Order: sequence, then structure tokens, then C-alpha cells
Amino acid sequence: MTATRTGRQRRRQTPPDLPQNEAATLRQRLSRWDLKYSPYLYISPFFLLFLLVGMFPLAYMLIVSLHNWNLLTGAGDWVGFANFSTELKDPLFWNSVRNTFSIFLLSAIPQLIAATTIAAILDRNLRAKTFWRLSVILPYVVTPVAVALIFSNVFSEKYGLANTLLQHFGFNDIMWKTETLPSHLAIATMVNWRWTGYNALILLAAMQAVPRDIYESAAIDGAGAFRRFFSMTLPSIRPTMIFVIVTATVGGMQIFTEAKLLNPSSSVPGGPQRQYQTAVLYLWDLAFNRQNFGRAAAVAWLLFILITAVGTLNFLLSRRIASAGDGRAEKRGRIRQARILAERGAANKAAAALAAEGGASTETSDRTKGVER
Amino acid sequence: MRYSLRTKASATLAGVAGIALVVSGCSSNSTTSAPASPSVDNTTPITLTITTFGTMGLDGLYAEYTKLHPNITIKPTNIDTGGNAQTDWQTKQAAGTGLPDIQAVEEGWLSKVMQVSDSFTDLTAYGAKDIASQWVPWKVGQATDAKGRIIGYGTDIGPEGLCYNSKLFAAAGLPSDRDAVAKLFGGTGATWEKFFEVGRQYHAATGKAWYDQSGFVWNAMVNEQPEGYYKKDGTLNVEGNATLNGLFMQLAQGAADGLSSGQTQWDWGKGKAFVDGSFATFVCPGWMLGVVKGQVTAAGGDSTSGWDFADVFPGGAANWGGTFLTVPTTSAHPAEAAALAAWLTAPEQQVKSFQAAGTFPSDVKAQTDPGVTGPSDLTKFFNDAPIGTILGSRANGVVAQYKGPDDSVIQEQVFGPSIQAIDSGKADGTKAWNDALTLLKQLVVNK
Repeated sequence: MTATRTGRQRRRQTPPDLPQNEAATLRQRLSRWDLKYSPYLYISPFFLLFLLVGMFPLAYMLIVSLHNWNLLTGAGDWVGFANFSTELKDPLFWNSVRNTFSIFLLSAIPQLIAATTIAAILDRNLRAKTFWRLSVILPYVVTPVAVALIFSNVFSEKYGLANTLLQHFGFNDIMWKTETLPSHLAIATMVNWRWTGYNALILLAAMQAVPRDIYESAAIDGAGAFRRFFSMTLPSIRPTMIFVIVTATVGGMQIFTEAKLLNPSSSVPGGPQRQYQTAVLYLWDLAFNRQNFGRAAAVAWLLFILITAVGTLNFLLSRRIASAGDGRAEKRGRIRQARILAERGAANKAAAALAAEGGASTETSDRTKGVER
Repeated sequence: MRYSLRTKASATLAGVAGIALVVSGCSSNSTTSAPASPSVDNTTPITLTITTFGTMGLDGLYAEYTKLHPNITIKPTNIDTGGNAQTDWQTKQAAGTGLPDIQAVEEGWLSKVMQVSDSFTDLTAYGAKDIASQWVPWKVGQATDAKGRIIGYGTDIGPEGLCYNSKLFAAAGLPSDRDAVAKLFGGTGATWEKFFEVGRQYHAATGKAWYDQSGFVWNAMVNEQPEGYYKKDGTLNVEGNATLNGLFMQLAQGAADGLSSGQTQWDWGKGKAFVDGSFATFVCPGWMLGVVKGQVTAAGGDSTSGWDFADVFPGGAANWGGTFLTVPTTSAHPAEAAALAAWLTAPEQQVKSFQAAGTFPSDVKAQTDPGVTGPSDLTKFFNDAPIGTILGSRANGVVAQYKGPDDSVIQEQVFGPSIQAIDSGKADGTKAWNDALTLLKQLVVNK
């Protein structure tokens, strides 16, 4: 941001200094190129890498999806869009999509509610702030594989902790690994355990950036804690909320590890009757067990389209959340912020957590600038 | 299910390792490519790469070989499980680069290897026919492709015997001595009918299950047929197969009568099911004995838990698992690689591998070697059962069944769900069989 802005300013100043009628010297030309092109050079590594490891596989996968393609024997005949139409007609594909949505809803909704609540609690003046904040992020430190192994044990049908507890209270065993809804709940639990604290910290960072004096004046005007939370905190953290919802969508639609490892020795990945076979697990099974690379590539493309669609839908929906009482100018500023936030992507998540710790100074100043502009 | 523990046990890390494998798959074989000489070169320095998995007991032998052949340097890679080794091989095979000079291949994924058997060196060009008689004949049969090329030398095999809990047998009023137990099931003529009949007696006396779950039983039932899911000509052999259908119905009836404990295979409540009397018999290929010991130990039990091993198997001789050493055609030194593979699988070396890792030899001579038949920690655990001798006897009469390209898909994904359905009581035999046929059409026939 800063680099481009100064660049723009300097460009505005330089032309008058240049001799208008004479040919520019090499030095002048170089310096002009420097101004014009260096920013692109600086940002190019990302795009080059993205071309190499993002765009190329995506395009190549499209080629694979248009062929009969066996994992071992390689490319077969060109079949056009036959793989896509087979998949769209395959009940197992739709089963995996249904499972994905079910697990996504069961995990994302409670997770976001819990994360917002935890963030709101952490936002108050607690003793030993750092301790609480670090505790919340602890589950995130454990790798998904380890989480899945532990929970797989907890949800073991015959000897697991969950069923032993249920028996203790006089309930029947629940078939966590062979029935649809229980298995979805078990997987959602793993996801929530890992991600709730993480999202809470991001939301906390946003809450810390809300100017305290607004709260004070609202309190003086007689707004209670709940009123302040719903009318002030929620609208203020909306850009961050959008970011959290969009990343949760993208992650939730691609869920694989937890479903794969709920019962690692299951003959069919994703449950004996595919009760919890998610779309990515279906894709993996199709490619590496059933050796049908062509159809797996088609599924990957369908999934890509689906995730983009659901992500966009969630973005549009969450923009409407808590928009009551928002000024227009402020709204525009916030949308811009949301876009910036989304662009920052996953790499900046950690920074957000740090910002929560280091006080909201940077965030606030950014915001003020945004409004001024 | 057809995969042995080495294939299955920790599929847990497969996802993570998969990524690492893709990365390593990119680093190609670094051996300098000299033109392949027809005879073994004894002077030029040569580096041979070998990829193994699990505990194959070969590690100690490399140094011995390089001492005999000073010009050879061996670079071994051992992958933790057979499942990860399969992913590794599949990735490199698909990429067409990065395969070692010697690749260990497990029986569980041999049908996939056979799909691309042309990319493995025909070892008959390097004297395979001369040494073929050292192995049990069906092991050579498994490694022979449709064109009669021998593409692998056998290391270990997995002949199946019956593990049983002598304490539980005695408590139910059944004989507990291993010879009497063998006779109880019918000795050499043991049948599944008899197995289920005794199981019903046991269930009536104790109210407990007879075997851990139906999957391993079904696996054995299919494996011991002359033709399994495929006919010898490569056509499917499931629909209208009266033999398989009859066995499936017996199995379903057994589960309906409470003979299956419905355990999660490869989990068994982290071994608890082996010590709390959940079931009294267990399908045991040679390598499974170590698994049983491990499960019992994990649950806090020891040799007093009562597990024993009988020289009997219902329905005839069966094999489950076992490994081969192959030479991919990408090897720059096929002659030297074939020579090393032959040496590693020779009887003397198989005895040493057995002592190091408990892999039961596929060489006839090694099977009767005192080093294999003698006492060990494992025999002590199984109430001093002569494990080596019993396994040697169980290896007689196994047939090398033709496995089609989708064999593992049929086993795991077509019959897997139905087996689970009869174990959990969700479906009766007829429905489960018909469901399997529907899945067969969906996954294999119309793919």
C-alpha cells in the first residue's frame, strides 16, 4: 500500500522536471521505468509461484478430467465432458456433497457462535489476559492428524470414552462411526475443537479495534451490555466476520483429514456405507483406490465451482449481517477493509492474533485513515 | 481387508506422508545410466537403490552382500508401512520416474502391479527359472504375469492358521489342547460348516461371540477358492457364483446368531477385545501372530491371556499377505539388481530375515530350518506352540489365485459395506449380498 501510494505521488511530481522536447537520457529513462515497472517486479514472485503451483495444476487437471485417465496406465481416450456428466449422475458423488454440507453446517454455525462469545468474554478486562488468550489457541497447535487420532479413540464404538460416559448415565451406545448423524457430529466436534479458539482470537483482534469511547458514550446513554454487543460490537467487527465466515466455508468444504481418520481402517474411506464420506475424501478414493484419475479430476473441478459459489453466497449473506444503523460512508470504508482483509489471506491470520496482543493501535490508525479517505 | 497390517496399520499418517512422497517422487533416480549389460558386472562400482517397507528383516543383510561384492553400494530406503509404500510406488509409477532398482511389492497391491507388469523386468532373463523350485510353487505363481513372465522373487508368505483362546475354550467345555482343537474342526478336512457349528455350541454355552468380526473370515473364504472375484480369464466371477454366495450366507447366518463380536478391525478397542473374552477364535496368517501379541500386550495382557495357535484352517489352505522383490525396467543395472534380489530371497537369507523380523519364509528349505522352527519369544507367548512348523504345514496346498485389477476395490468397497451390515444387524444375508452386487455394478462394471 505505502509503496504504491508514494509511487503515485512521485509520479505526479516528476514529469515537469523532465525536459519536454529533448530525448530523455538513459538515466532518466531508467528511473522512469523504475517508477513504472518495479512495483510489478516486486509483486511478481507471488504471481509466478501461483502460476506454477496454482494455475498450472488447475489447467492440467481440466485436461485430465476430459480423458479416461487411469492412475497407473495413464492417459486414455478423450471423452469430452463425459466424466462430468457421469459424476453429476452418480449418487455417491451427491452423497459426498450432502455429507460435506451437513458436516460444514454442524461445525461452522456452533463454532462461529462460540468463537464470538469467547472473543466477547476475552475482550473484557480480565486478569492474566495473555494466559487466557494463549489457552484459547492451544488446540490449534495440535496437528489435525493427532486431533483425529485422539477423537477417533474417544468416539470408538465399543470401548470409547464417549460411549462409556453415556452408559454411565444410562443411555444406549451411539454408533459414532457407522451411523450418519452421529458420525457427522463426531467429525464436527473435531473441527470445532481445533478451530473455535483460532477464530475467537481473530474476532478478538477486531473487537479490540473498536474505539472504547463509543462504548462509554453508549453506556452513558443507557445502552446495556447486550445492546452494546449487538448494536455496536457486531456491526463493527463485520469485515472480520466476513473473513472468518469465508475462510470457514473454504475450509469446511474441503474437510478431509478428520473424516479420513475417524476410522482409519474402514474398508471404505468415509464409513462402511459412506455415511461420512466428504467430497474431498470421495475424490481421493476415486483417484487412488479406484484409480480413476479422469473422474477424480472432474470432481475436483466441480468442487472448485461449488466452493466458489458457496463462498460468494456466504460473503453476500454476511455483508447483510448486523448492518442496521450503519452509515453509508462507514459502510464503504468497511467493505474496502473487508477486501483488504480477504486479500491478506491466511498468512496474515497470525498477525491478527498478534495485533490483538499488541494493542489495537495499528488497526485503529488504519481505520481512521480509511474513513478520512 | 486383504491388505496385511503392514499395509493398513497406520494409514493414519498416509495423508501427511503422501505429500512428502509426492515431493520425494520428483527427485529422480540418481544412478548414472550405463547401458544394461546382460551379465553381472563384478568390477565397475555400481550403486543399487532398494525400497522396502515395514519390518522385512533385510537391513542386516545389505552389509553382508556388499562385503561379498565390493563393487556394489546399496542405498536402502525403508517406508514405515505397506500402505505408504503403495502410495510411494503408485506415485512414482504414474510419474514414470524415481523408482528404485529393487522395489518391494506386497501381495495386497500385486493386482495393481500386474496391470503394469510390462514395466517390471522379466527375471527369467536372469535365471529365475533355475531357482524357481526353491519357493513354494504358488508363491512363484503369484509373481508370474499373464504372459508367463516372472516379475518378482518371493520373500515372506502369510499361510493362515487358527488362533484360539484356550482358556475360553476350556471354560466353554471345548477341548483346549492344540491337537485336540485341530481335530475338533476336522483336521485336514476342516470346513466352515464345522467352524460355525462349534461356534454355535460355544455361543450357547457362554453367550459370547466366536470371532472378532466377519471381515477377516470373508477374506479367508474368498482367498482359498481356486478362483476368487475374477476367473482365470480375467472376467468377473461374483454374480451367480454359488460357492461365494453359499459361503456369504453361512457368514451372514453366523453373524445373525451372535457369532461375530462386531469389532472394529485393526483397532479392537486398542487390544482390549483380545483380553476381555469378547471372542475366542481369530484368523491368523503368520505375520498376524505378532499383531495378536502386540494387541494383547497393549491391553496389559501377556502369555497367560490364553492365546494359542492350532494347525488347522476351515475350508482348506489359505494365504494372506507376503512380499516380493521386483526390478522395475527403469533400473539402469537390471542384472546386478536381479542378482541382489535373488540373493536376498535365497533360503539362508530368509532364515536370517525370519529371525530378525518374524517374516515366515517362502523358501521350502528355509521353512524347515531349525532357525525357523525353533523356540522364540513368539512361541513362548503362544503357549510354546511350534509356530514355524505349524506355518510350514499351513503353507501346503495354497493356490495362487488370479487377482484382477479391481480385486482390492471389490474386497474393500463392494463387500466391505455388506460385511459391516451383517455384523451390525442392518441387513440379512440376502439383502447384503444383493447390495454388494449393486455396488459391484456401480463401482466396477460401469466405471
